Amino acid sequence: MGRKCLDYINDLNDYLDGELDPSLCEEIEKHIGHCENCRIMVDTMKQTVTLCREGKPEKLPAALEDKLGGILKARWEKKFGK
Amino acid sequence: MVKATFLNRFILYFYLMNESELIKKAQAGDFEAFSALVNASKNKIYALALKMTANPQDAEDIVQDTFLKAIDNIEQFRGESAFGTWLYSIALNQARAHLAKQKQTDLKPIEDYLPARSAEELHREGVVHLFDWKDPHQKLEDEQLRTIIDNAIAELPAKYREAFLLRYIEELSIKEISKIINESVASTKSRVLRARLALRDHISKALEDKYGTEVS
Ligand SMILES: [Zn+2]
Repeated sequence: MGRKCLDYINDLNDYLDGELDPSLCEEIEKHIGHCENCRIMVDTMKQTVTLCREGKPEKLPAALEDKLGGILKARWEKKFGK
Repeated sequence: MVKATFLNRFILYFYLMNESELIKKAQAGDFEAFSALVNASKNKIYALALKMTANPQDAEDIVQDTFLKAIDNIEQFRGESAFGTWLYSIALNQARAHLAKQKQTDLKPIEDYLPARSAEELHREGVVHLFDWKDPHQKLEDEQLRTIIDNAIAELPAKYREAFLLRYIEELSIKEISKIINESVASTKSRVLRARLALRDHISKALEDKYGTEVS
């Protein structure tokens, strides 16, 4: 009797992030080969992270960028003196 | 031209010195060394704060307060973690304060994200319960997709959202995250997994809706 889908779920992130023991990886891959639900689960879990990583990197808005140095310098001088 | 010279000096500082030298100098009162550390991390702190709060004004406040707190406590940084990790933990404390009014719900247990019946049963019956999105870029406009993803992240309870962002956007290790959020490695792992499962669920439902209404 093979393991059930749910037996793999706790190892899913380690598997997807390449941090799982090779023999367990093999077992999961074998399971995915004949279990459509788990195949979809693995594919869509991968995509979840890929999609979240898309989009342009956020940059500090220019207005804050301009004043941040001055704000920090004032606090710095209060603490350390000029 | 004054500004440009100033900036050049920061850049020079940053390239000539490694992080621990900069920290030592900053702790001794060197503002330019501290500024170099700020410049190296400000955009990442802002991105994290923005994803945590989904509110640009809150995110700006968090960035500013994070660096002010870092100045106040700079001598307490002992170098057990990277400086950036230390800043993240300050930033997350600030973010939590901004999110304190939101109610903190728990996600469902890990086991509830897969069909309850055994693989053998499902396989025998040929039953598929999960929706296969394939490549959503083929079906949706970038902007539509972005909205779905942003909503999914925003809907995660804060403690799961921060774990997910630190792991997959900031790319920290489970161990580093466990230090930042002050949880065991095991519970950090489970939090990251539950966050990813819940996001997947949310995205899956949203895409299933959208695919259904698209005229092919
Ligand atoms: Zn399965």
